[in-house]
Amino acid sequence: MEWDWAFVVQILPTLIEGVKITIIATLLGSVLAAIVGLVIAIVRRSKNRLISMPMGFVAEFIRGTPLLVQLYFIFYVLPDLGITLSPLVAGVIGLGLHYGTYTAEVYRAGIDNVARGQWEAAKACNLSPLQTWTQIIMPQALPPMIPALANYFIAMFKETPLLSAITVLELMNQARSIANYNYRYIEPITMVGAFFLVISIVSVIGLRWLERRYGKID
Amino acid sequence: MTKLQTISALLGAAALSALVSSMPAKADEALDKLKAQGFARIAIANEPPFTAVKADGSVSGAGPDVARAVFKKLGVNDVVASISEYGAMIPGLQAGRHDVVTAGLFMKPERCNAVSYSEPILCDAEAFLVKKGNPKGFKSYQDIAKDEKATIGAPGGGTEERLALEAGVPRERVIVVPDGQSGLKMLQDGRIDTYSLPVLSINDLVKKANDPNIEVIAPVQGAPVYCDGAAFRKGDTALRDEFDKVLAEMKKSGEFAKIVEPYGFSAEAALSTTRDKLCAAK
Repeated sequence: MEWDWAFVVQILPTLIEGVKITIIATLLGSVLAAIVGLVIAIVRRSKNRLISMPMGFVAEFIRGTPLLVQLYFIFYVLPDLGITLSPLVAGVIGLGLHYGTYTAEVYRAGIDNVARGQWEAAKACNLSPLQTWTQIIMPQALPPMIPALANYFIAMFKETPLLSAITVLELMNQARSIANYNYRYIEPITMVGAFFLVISIVSVIGLRWLERRYGKID
Repeated sequence: MTKLQTISALLGAAALSALVSSMPAKADEALDKLKAQGFARIAIANEPPFTAVKADGSVSGAGPDVARAVFKKLGVNDVVASISEYGAMIPGLQAGRHDVVTAGLFMKPERCNAVSYSEPILCDAEAFLVKKGNPKGFKSYQDIAKDEKATIGAPGGGTEERLALEAGVPRERVIVVPDGQSGLKMLQDGRIDTYSLPVLSINDLVKKANDPNIEVIAPVQGAPVYCDGAAFRKGDTALRDEFDKVLAEMKKSGEFAKIVEPYGFSAEAALSTTRDKLCAAK
């Protein structure tokens, strides 16, 4: 088994096509996870147990089942109910929902971390609940959460090869179809690893910066 | 020697012996090794009638049945199958994960370069599975290439994927489908316009699906009839020759026809052509 640089050069453009899809899926998935997580966290804080309990159950359910199973469900089972999503959309929804349940915990911790006095002060100033959330609580809760959220997004990025199971032509699937066509695994799969490593390392450097910038609670 | 040194010496010896055993076996060594382990490891795809895993886990299908019969005559009592993607079979064979591929992996020149094929075993033409009435009027892979919105599902690394790409269908319109059931489902859901497999596989799939809204277009125009053979590692030609010898006897005695014909394959087709012809075909 020998390494063939000419083959690497030849397959590089195809792999870069795959990287693009991988990055798009991660970015869209991250946005969705950030929104879904916030909604779950806020709803779960509701004092009305009829609202908070079902949401808690749904979140635990999603967190307790494998992402791959959820992807299969969204892609292959939902069409039976009349919902046919394109592979990428199905993948982004799968990633977003799954990671949304994790980011919800980050939000919860961040919101709980805001001192009680802030809530009481908001009430004393006669602020509406909306004003309290958007003007008082969130601006204080969000910055310390940013590094933890980014951490989940990097984890999500490394889970995107699962999307190849639902025919998304992302990096892993491109590499597999190259391997299938040329009977060589060593170069395509090594390159996949290298791409993920490089992007992860760059992201981790960014994460360190975010931690220094926002991580301190004062 | 300290205990640690003993352990590392043992590990070194184990690594060395593993290395030696993974080297290409010479002449009858490969067969002797199979006899010693008592079974041959085959790669299959679970695509009836070529290869099939029954509900109880036993392996059948025309390919494994022929391989089992041939290996029995060679003194290897059984075959143990692992299910693999078509594209992963040849790399898996080269990596020593399988001893032989008997999965309806059709002979094509580039595959012949990568492995040692036996003489032809299972022959079949290509077919399309489409929605009832063939709304887009597909008759050949070129028709799909011409229609700018048409998508075709094909097994990853399979002959159909290659045929579609070679006919000029762009990569993003050739959807790699993991297995027959998903392909059928994706067609029914309208995710793909056609699903391409060999005729007998499609017929088997349609029979199981029992869906009046789909139909089979067979054979695909311009796509040749292909035959598979048992694929051995490039270096295992001695084992392949032994396999061929027994296979030729079985073809002559009619035993071969008795195995493949109940599955719907034509023994005549396999007898009428040779490996050399199929490997040279473009």
